[in-house]
Amino acid sequence: MAKSRVTRRQLLIGAAPALAAVPLVKLALPEGAEGAEPLASHEGHDHAAMGHAAMIGAEVPAPGGPNDLDALLYPQAPVPGDVVEYELVAHDADIEVAQGVTFPAWTFNGTVPGPIIRATEGQLLRVRFTNAGTHPHTIHFHGIHPANMDGVFEIVDVGETFTYEFPARPAGFHLYHCHATPLKKHIHKGLYGAFIIDPAGGRPPAQELVMVMNGFDTDGDGENNFYTVNGKAFYYAKYPITVRRSETVRIYLANLTEFDLINSFHLHGDFFRYYPTGTGDAFEYTDTVVQTQGQRGIIEIDFANTGLFMFHAHQSEFAELGWMGFFNVVDGDEAQPAGNFLCEPDEKPSTV
Amino acid sequence: MESSESSVSAARPADVAPGAARSGSERRARTRWRLWALVPIVLIVAVVSIFASAGGSLVDLVGTNPPAADEFDIQRVEFKPGEIRIHVRNPQPDDLTIAVVAIDDAVVPFEVEGSPTLGRLASREIVVPYDWVADDPYLIGVTSSTGIQTTFDVPAAVESKDPSGKSFLGYALIGFLVGVVPVALGLAWLPSLRHASAKWLAAFMALTAGLLTFLAIDALAEALELQAALPSALQGTGLVLIGVVVSYLTLTWVSHRFSAKSGRERDPTLSGIALATLVAIGIGLHNLGEGLAIGTSFAFGELALGSFLIIGFMIHNVTEGLGIAAPIAEGQRVSLGRLGALTLIAGAPAIAGAWIGGFVANDVVGVLFFGLAVGAALQVVVEVGRYIHRRAPGGLTSGYAIGGFLAGVLIMYATGLIAG
Repeated sequence: MAKSRVTRRQLLIGAAPALAAVPLVKLALPEGAEGAEPLASHEGHDHAAMGHAAMIGAEVPAPGGPNDLDALLYPQAPVPGDVVEYELVAHDADIEVAQGVTFPAWTFNGTVPGPIIRATEGQLLRVRFTNAGTHPHTIHFHGIHPANMDGVFEIVDVGETFTYEFPARPAGFHLYHCHATPLKKHIHKGLYGAFIIDPAGGRPPAQELVMVMNGFDTDGDGENNFYTVNGKAFYYAKYPITVRRSETVRIYLANLTEFDLINSFHLHGDFFRYYPTGTGDAFEYTDTVVQTQGQRGIIEIDFANTGLFMFHAHQSEFAELGWMGFFNVVDGDEAQPAGNFLCEPDEKPSTV
Repeated sequence: MESSESSVSAARPADVAPGAARSGSERRARTRWRLWALVPIVLIVAVVSIFASAGGSLVDLVGTNPPAADEFDIQRVEFKPGEIRIHVRNPQPDDLTIAVVAIDDAVVPFEVEGSPTLGRLASREIVVPYDWVADDPYLIGVTSSTGIQTTFDVPAAVESKDPSGKSFLGYALIGFLVGVVPVALGLAWLPSLRHASAKWLAAFMALTAGLLTFLAIDALAEALELQAALPSALQGTGLVLIGVVVSYLTLTWVSHRFSAKSGRERDPTLSGIALATLVAIGIGLHNLGEGLAIGTSFAFGELALGSFLIIGFMIHNVTEGLGIAAPIAEGQRVSLGRLGALTLIAGAPAIAGAWIGGFVANDVVGVLFFGLAVGAALQVVVEVGRYIHRRAPGGLTSGYAIGGFLAGVLIMYATGLIAG
């Protein structure tokens, strides 16, 4: 789309070495155009300071209202019993991924990412999947399961239903996504979600959050126009996530970005323990982690200070195209109780 | 109409008495047939409204419509202290909404005066508070509510000046240097031309035609190149044609008035000074486009204005002065005031062009201006050709005329190599 107003005549001139400017012509040159000095400080100008500071609060161009993403941010508490059941329906939906921008998505249960699926290791997981979309889909779970439960061979045609059933293992943080071909299309259109398997006996108590990093290519050029966590650009910059300093914050972090090979998570003002894939006790103490497509892990933060702390992809481009947010770390009980969020009825897990 | 009525009655002088009644009924009949002219218009409105109400189902019979392109037309990007202003237009048939603005692949807050939803061909100014860096390239992206991003490359950010006294003077000087000065210098060939033989004068007249032909082709190429970048809804080729036809026909009318005024109905050849004026108008319109191109490119940071460019344009345009001088070389002397006026007609438009280009121009204006230059140059070539045909020894087929024309084209090409 590059438009050039340089005419043939001027192009030739552009190639010629520039000679000293005619003094008279200098009258027409704007100040500052001669050297490379940036026009940084214009005193008395409202817009002089831009950057992170301008991307907080009501100013932030984020779609949606407060609490809109709660179902995707706060995982439901582990459900006791031998069997845990979910109902997933794939259907097409226009979703707002950046302020004022709708994306014709393929969704599980109407959101991108899809609902959080959670089971305890050893529990029988039963996911009844209905394809109400316009193309054949599947659900491919990461984890250990029989070949016929892998969501690769049993393509679910439009209008059909398939029930995935297998014991949940291993404990860790996993993901699920459609595995119909073309794979890239089915994933970038939005058919994926977080899959938590708790160790038998559970993890230590914490304020639990789920963050699925993704991107949206809204104009179909094979590059993401927006990057988000949980599906809405800049959402957590506009609506910071309130957490209590007194309790560990546990983030289930997964990367389901398509097109870009890696995504990352960086925390300001503190460090955290990062457990790759959440499968073991070994951790790295850091403030930045990198995940390739499909990689995931568990982050545990014990905040030292209260206040607003930014988190974002450390690829500046991703951050400035929507993947940034804030923790509002508080003392006392001001924070929304995390970890026992009530799901929408159609996503509610039921025990048999 | 009055004259046709009188001619009808004059053709039938015999039946005056019944003619009065008949002319009444004739008038009624004529009115009736004039009213009939409205019938197709009424019918097309009716058919269009029927089709509009059933259009969707018709499309269903043959397939489905492709998705809307939803691209904006980014007309102009201005850099002001602490902010970037983006002028966008909706070239699409349907409404288009500005949802997100990104500078260098970073989403930025922005303001739009009025609704962010643009009807067909509606324009808006998007104001983005931004701490831009002088001389750096920028990629401007405007995304519609349907997620389609339109991008615009800025090769180098240069502060856009509001028309101030200083910048006004600056652009005026640029226009003066590339327009007025070379034409005035070229006119200084006049005394030498006065002592040239008739054959050589014909050669110089043909040279004028040659250089004008070169300018016409040059301007046509510029116009077509510019229009190619316009959104198709604006029908760029139509704009070029309008420019060409309007200036060609206007100049035809003007030259007809000139020859009528000087009592030359029988000899449609123009007087020397009238022809020189026409040549000056043609060259002036070309210089208007040239000034516009320089002003626009400079304002957008796409062109470095150096002495090399100015010198190139000056040498290139000196020949234009020669073109004006040739027609007035024979016949009575022309006053200095007249020469000054001719210089301004041919050269001063470069100043106006630089102003327009520097402060307000967009591609539509550029296409129109270059189109005007094409038509004007071609019309003047025709007038000059007619002059040579009637007045010059040997007419159009003499070696002097043919050689002069070729020399005109070649000189423009050679000096154009310097100007780039």
